[in-house]
Amino acid sequence: MSLAAAQGFLSPTGVEIAFLLVGIATLGAAVVTVTTKQLVHAALWLVVALGGLAVEYLLLTAEFVAWVQVLIYVGSVVVLLLFGLMLTKAPIGRSPDADSGNRPAALVVALAAAAALVWVVVDAFRTAWIDLDGPAQGSTKVSGTILFRHWVLPFEALSVLLLAALVGAIVLSRKDRTTDREGQR
Amino acid sequence: MNDVLDVAFRLVVVFAVFLVLPLVIGQTEHKVMAHMQGRLGPMYAGGFHGWAQLVADGVKFAQKEDVVPANADRRIFQLAPAVALLPYLLVLVAIPIGPSEGAVGEIVDAGIFFVLAVMGVGVLGSLMAGWASANKFSLLGGLRTAAQLLAYELPMLLAAASVAMAAGTVSLPGIVNAFEWWWLPWQIVGALVFFVAGLAELQRPPFDMPVADSEIIFGAYTEYTGLRFALFLLAEYAGIVVLCGLTTVLFLGGWHGPFGAEGLGWVWTLLKTAVLAFIVIWLRVSYPRLREDQLQKLAWTTLVPLALAQIALTGIVKVVNS
Amino acid sequence: MAPIPGSGLAKGLAVTLRTMTKKSHTAQYPDVQPELPPRTRGVIGLFEENCTVCMLCARECPDWCIYIDSHKETIPAATPGGRERSRNVLDRFAIDFALCMYCGICIEVCPFDALFWSPEFEYAETDIHDLTHERDKLREWMWTVPEPPALDPGAEEPKEIAAARKAAEKVAAAQAAAAAEAAEPAGQAPQATDSTPAAQTDTAVAEQAQREQAQPPQAQRPAEGGTE
Repeated sequence: MSLAAAQGFLSPTGVEIAFLLVGIATLGAAVVTVTTKQLVHAALWLVVALGGLAVEYLLLTAEFVAWVQVLIYVGSVVVLLLFGLMLTKAPIGRSPDADSGNRPAALVVALAAAAALVWVVVDAFRTAWIDLDGPAQGSTKVSGTILFRHWVLPFEALSVLLLAALVGAIVLSRKDRTTDREGQR
Repeated sequence: MNDVLDVAFRLVVVFAVFLVLPLVIGQTEHKVMAHMQGRLGPMYAGGFHGWAQLVADGVKFAQKEDVVPANADRRIFQLAPAVALLPYLLVLVAIPIGPSEGAVGEIVDAGIFFVLAVMGVGVLGSLMAGWASANKFSLLGGLRTAAQLLAYELPMLLAAASVAMAAGTVSLPGIVNAFEWWWLPWQIVGALVFFVAGLAELQRPPFDMPVADSEIIFGAYTEYTGLRFALFLLAEYAGIVVLCGLTTVLFLGGWHGPFGAEGLGWVWTLLKTAVLAFIVIWLRVSYPRLREDQLQKLAWTTLVPLALAQIALTGIVKVVNS
Repeated sequence: MAPIPGSGLAKGLAVTLRTMTKKSHTAQYPDVQPELPPRTRGVIGLFEENCTVCMLCARECPDWCIYIDSHKETIPAATPGGRERSRNVLDRFAIDFALCMYCGICIEVCPFDALFWSPEFEYAETDIHDLTHERDKLREWMWTVPEPPALDPGAEEPKEIAAARKAAEKVAAAQAAAAAEAAEPAGQAPQATDSTPAAQTDTAVAEQAQREQAQPPQAQRPAEGGTE
C-alpha cells in the first residue's frame, strides 16, 4: 500500500500492460460467448474467458486461485457444460433459436451486475498496489491462512450452500423416479 | 541474458523428453504387449527388433492426407489435437525428477493444482474433437469421455489432496522432499486410487470405453487422419508419461531410493516411472474393457469412498503425529 | 470356499506375465522356412513317365481343374507278323491351382503313381492365369517331392518287396538243390546241361529281386526320375 505513491498510471510496467491486454482479450471472449449463435462455440469461448481470468490471477501473483480456477471451471464446469450440450444434439453451425426475447433484460442485468462489481472493487481497493517483487501475496500458504483464519465463517456458509444444492439434487432425482414408477403403474 | 538461455535450455530439454519418452513407452507397449500375447511384435523397422517402428509410423502419418469432413466444424476440428496434446507438455514442465534445482523444468508453487488443472484441460481436446467431427460415433465418444472425466476427476483430486495433507505442501518438489519410506504403506490406498483414476482419465484400457473400437470405432478420434491423428496418439502416450511421473513423485518418493539418493536421484525417478508405465501396459493386456455402468460404479462407489477414507487416515495420523 | 476378492484380477495379471517370459509362437516365415509335416499338401507334382492318360484324375477332380490332351500313336509290331499296338501319348497335362481345392483325390485315384504331393507352397502369382501349371512346371514340382516316410518299425514288408524276396528265396533254394545234384556222381552230364538255362534265368530273377530290395521301384522314388 505504501507503494501507491511510487506508482503512476502514466508509466505502466510490463506486467500492467500484460494485465490490461489479457483483460481486454478476456472481455472480448466473454462478449463473444454471449453473442455467438453457435452453442458449442459459446462454451469454448467461455473456456477462453475463464482461462483469461486465470492468467489475470497469475499476473496478480494469486497462483493458487489461478490453478483452482482452471481446475474447477475449465476442467469440470465447462466439461459438464459440453456434456450437456452434446446431450441436446447441438447442431454444427448456427442455431437460429439460440436467441430469446430477453436480450434487453439480460443486457440490463449484466450491466447492473458489472457496475455493482466494479463499484465494489474500486471502493474496496481504490489505490492499493500489489508488490510484485516481494513475497507473493496470493501464494497457497497466504491464501490458506487468510481463508481459514479470517474468512472461516463465509467459507463454511458456502459449504452449507453446496450441501443444500446437493440435497436438492438428490430430492429432485428421487422425485422423478417415484413419478416414473407411478406412471408405469 | 543467462536467465533467458537457462529457461530456453530447460524448455528444449523438456520438449525433447516430451517427444522421446512417449515414443519409448509406445515402443515398449508394442513389444511387451506382443510378448504377453505370445507374439514378437515389430521386428523389421530399424533392423534390430523393430526399434524404429514408431518413427516409421510417424513418417507414415506425416505422409497421409489430412482430411476434414465436409460437415465438420472446421476450425474446432483442426484445433482439437493441439488442445489435447499441449497440456501434457505443460505438465511435464512442472514434474521434478531429481533433488537439485536443475532437475525440474520450472518450480510451480501450487504444483499439484497446476498439474491436475492442466491435465483436466487436455480432455477438452477430446470433447472438441468428438463434437466437431459431425459423426455420431465421435459424439458418443465425446459424451463417454466427458462422463468418465466427471466421474474420475474427483477421486484423483481427493487422493492427491491426501498426499498434500501428509506433506504439508502443494509444491511437487516439496512433497518429494518430505517423503519418508513409511509413507508408502500409509498412502498406498491413495496411490492406487490416484493411479486407477488417472488411467481412467487417460482412457487407457481397461477404461477405454470412450474409444471402444468394437462399439464406436475410435470414439472422438474416428474422423481424424494423418498428423492430427498422430497427435492424439502422442497425447495418449504423453499422458502415460505424465501419469506415471506424477504417481512416482506424489506416492513413490520420486528420487528417494535405498541408495545413491544424491547423484543418481533422477535414475530412481525414471526407474519408478518406467515400472509404472510397464504396469499400465500390463493392465491393458490383462483386463477386458469395463462397461459404462461398471465404470461409473467403480468411480462413485469404490474410488471416492476409498479416497475419502485415505484422507481421513492421513488426517488422523497427521494429528496424532504432531 | 469363497475366493479372495481380487484373486481373479491377480490371476489375469499372472497369466500375461507368465506368457511374456515364455518363448513366443510367432512363425518368422519369410526369414525362417516353416517345418512342414510329411504329407503336407502344398502343390501337386506330375511324374509324366508313369502317366498313361487314363483320365481318371481329370474325371474324379471335383473342381475340374485338371486339363489333359493326348493323342494315340501306333507302334509297329514287335515281331514280324504280330499285331500293331496303339499307345496314348500325353500332349498336355495342366492343373489350375486357382481352382484346385487340394482335396488330393487325383493323387488317390491315379493307378500308376504319376501324381504326388509336394510340400512346396510358395507359388503365388500376380496373374491368375499363371496359376495354371503346365506339365513342365508340374514336373519341376516333382523334384521337390520328399521321400516317402519310413515304414513303422515292425510293419509288414511292402508287397512288391515281399513278392520279390519270395521269388528270390525260391530260386536260391532251387540253386542249392541244383548245386547239391551237381556235387553228386558225375556222368550225368545230359541232365546237367538240361538244367543250366533254367538255373541261369533263376539267378537273373534272384539278382533283380535283391536289387529291388535295396532300392524300391522307381515309381516310389520319384526323385530318381530326373536321371532319365
